[in-house]
Amino acid sequence: MVKYDKALLVKCANNLMFDMSDEQYEVLLKEFDVLTKQMELLGEIDGLENVSPMTFPFDIYTDYLRDDVEEPSLSKDDILRNAKDVVDGQIKLPKVVG
Amino acid sequence: MNFEAIIGIEIHVEMKTKSKMFSSGKVSFGEEPNTCVRPLDMAFPGTMPIVNKQAVINAIRVSNALNMKIDHELWFDRKNYFYSDLPKGFQITQQARPIGSKGYVDIKLNDGSSKRIHIERLHMEEDTCMQHHMADCTLVDYNRAGTPLVEIVSEPEIRSGEEAAKYVDAIRSIVVFTEVSDGKMEEGSLRCDVNVSIRPCGSDKYGTKVEVKNLNSIANVQRAIDYEVSRQAKLLLKGIPVEQETRRFDEIKKETVMMRKKTDAVDYKYFTEPNIIPIRLSDKFVQDAIDTCPELASEKYERYISLGLSEDEANQMLQDLSMNRYFDECVKIDSSKAKLFWNWINGDILAYLNKNNLSINQFKVSPDNLLSLIIMLEKGELSFNQGRKVFENMVIDNASAIKIADELGLKQNSNVDEIQSLVDSVIDSFPQSVVDYKNGKDRAVGFLVGQIMKASKGKVNPQIANKLVVESLNKR
Repeated sequence: MVKYDKALLVKCANNLMFDMSDEQYEVLLKEFDVLTKQMELLGEIDGLENVSPMTFPFDIYTDYLRDDVEEPSLSKDDILRNAKDVVDGQIKLPKVVG
Repeated sequence: MNFEAIIGIEIHVEMKTKSKMFSSGKVSFGEEPNTCVRPLDMAFPGTMPIVNKQAVINAIRVSNALNMKIDHELWFDRKNYFYSDLPKGFQITQQARPIGSKGYVDIKLNDGSSKRIHIERLHMEEDTCMQHHMADCTLVDYNRAGTPLVEIVSEPEIRSGEEAAKYVDAIRSIVVFTEVSDGKMEEGSLRCDVNVSIRPCGSDKYGTKVEVKNLNSIANVQRAIDYEVSRQAKLLLKGIPVEQETRRFDEIKKETVMMRKKTDAVDYKYFTEPNIIPIRLSDKFVQDAIDTCPELASEKYERYISLGLSEDEANQMLQDLSMNRYFDECVKIDSSKAKLFWNWINGDILAYLNKNNLSINQFKVSPDNLLSLIIMLEKGELSFNQGRKVFENMVIDNASAIKIADELGLKQNSNVDEIQSLVDSVIDSFPQSVVDYKNGKDRAVGFLVGQIMKASKGKVNPQIANKLVVESLNKR
C-alpha cells in the first residue's frame, strides 16, 4: 500500500494547483492514517484474493433508455445561488490557465 | 535525413440531440449563459444519470458508418478529475467498453489514390461546461455541461497533413449526413486534437509525441500538422530532442505555440459508473438504428453518379447539407431530370440566393414548380430568356411555371403550322433576303428569324423558326 507522508500530499496538492498550511497537512495525515488502518483491517479477511471486484450488488441489466425529451431548466437564480461571485450571468472563478 | 510523421487524431463530436447525455437539460448553442441547466448538470445531490436513447442511436449509426464492431452492452465509467469545467468532479465516459471498436474509413487523396485509416474506438461521453478565460478571471457557463458527445480515436496511421485533413473531412461528412451533428468546427461542435511525432524513415520506434489543440477548421488541421512536422524535423536535425508538450495552433501566426509541458501522466482513477446499471441493447434496437439511418454522403455520391452527374458535380452537391436536401427532394419527384436540377441549383438558384443573401432554407420555389419550369423549357414552350423571367417571378410567389407564363403572356409558340405561316409571310415581305441567301449570304437567315421574333413579340420558338426559315428558303 502507498505510504502517505507529507511530501506526497504536497505533491498532490501542487498537482491540483493549491497549497495548504503545515497544520492542515498534519490534520490530513492523521485522517489518512485512520483510513489506512481501516483498509488494513479489510485486508486481514481470509480468502479475499478469491473475490473478484464488483461494481453492482446484483448481476442485473436493464434495457431502459430515456426518450430524448427536453425539460425546463432550473431558474438562472437557482443555478447561481451558491456562487460566490457572478459576472454577466456566469460564475466567476480565479483563472488557473495561462 | 528524411523523417516520417506519425499522426493520430481524436475527434469530439457534439450531438444535436434535444436533451443532454444523462439529463433532460436542453442541448443549446448561443443561449443566454446558465439557462439550459438541469439539477444533474450542476451535480446537485440526489440526482441520477439516465442515458439518452437518441444519443445511443446516433453512436450506433456513426459506428456502423465507420465499419465498427458495435457493443450490444452499454457500460459507463467515471473519469475522475477536479476542475471547474465539470461540477461532479468526474466525467461519465466509456473507458473500458466503448460502444464502437475496430473500424475504418477510406479517404481519397489529391493524387487520386485512396487510403484506409483504421479507427481504434468510438465512445459516448458528456461534454464539459464552457469556460471563458478573461484577462484576470474565468467565467463559467454550464449550458454545455452534459451535452452528448461521441469521441472517435484513430489509429496512428495518418502520415501527413493532407491525410489528416481528408480523414477529418470524412468523419465530418459522416456525422453531418447521419444527422448526428452539425459538424461545425468553427463553433466547436466538431473538435479535434492531433498527436504528431516524427521518426527517421525506416525506423520502427515512435518519436516523442506532441499534442496540438485548438484546430477550428479542416484547413488548420493540415496547416498545424505541416508546421509541426517541419518544426520537429528542424529540432532533431539540430540535435535537440522534441519535448512532450501540448501546443495550440495560432491562426494569425500560422504556427503551433506551446501551451504546457506534459509532466506526470494524469491518473484519472477510472472506475465503472455505479449509477448506471449496464444496459443491454437488443439486436433489433441496434438494427433499427442502422436501418433508419439517413443516407451517407458516400451512398448519395454513388446514387448521383448513377443519375448522370459527373464526379465533380456529385461532390459539389454534397458540400452543403441544406442544398443537398433540396436537390434530393427534386430528384425524388423526377430522377431523370437530375442533371437539369443540378444545373438550375448551381446556376440561377445559387446566384439568386447569393445576390439576396439568402439560404436555400429560405428559398420559396418548391421542387415541383421548379420541375414545371424545366419541363416547359425542355418542350420548347419557353425560350431560355423567357424561362429566366418565369424564374424571377417564381421566387416571389412559388407558382407553377405554366401559371406564371400564362400571366406574363410568355408562353413560347412551338406550333409548327402556326410558325410556318408566319415564316411564309415574313419571307414574302423581304424578297431581297431570299436573293441574298441564294447568293450565299447565310446571315439572311438570322435577319429573317429576327423579323419573325419581332412580328411574334418574341413568342415563337426560335429554334423551330430557324429550321423552318432554312427549309422554306431552300424550297424557293
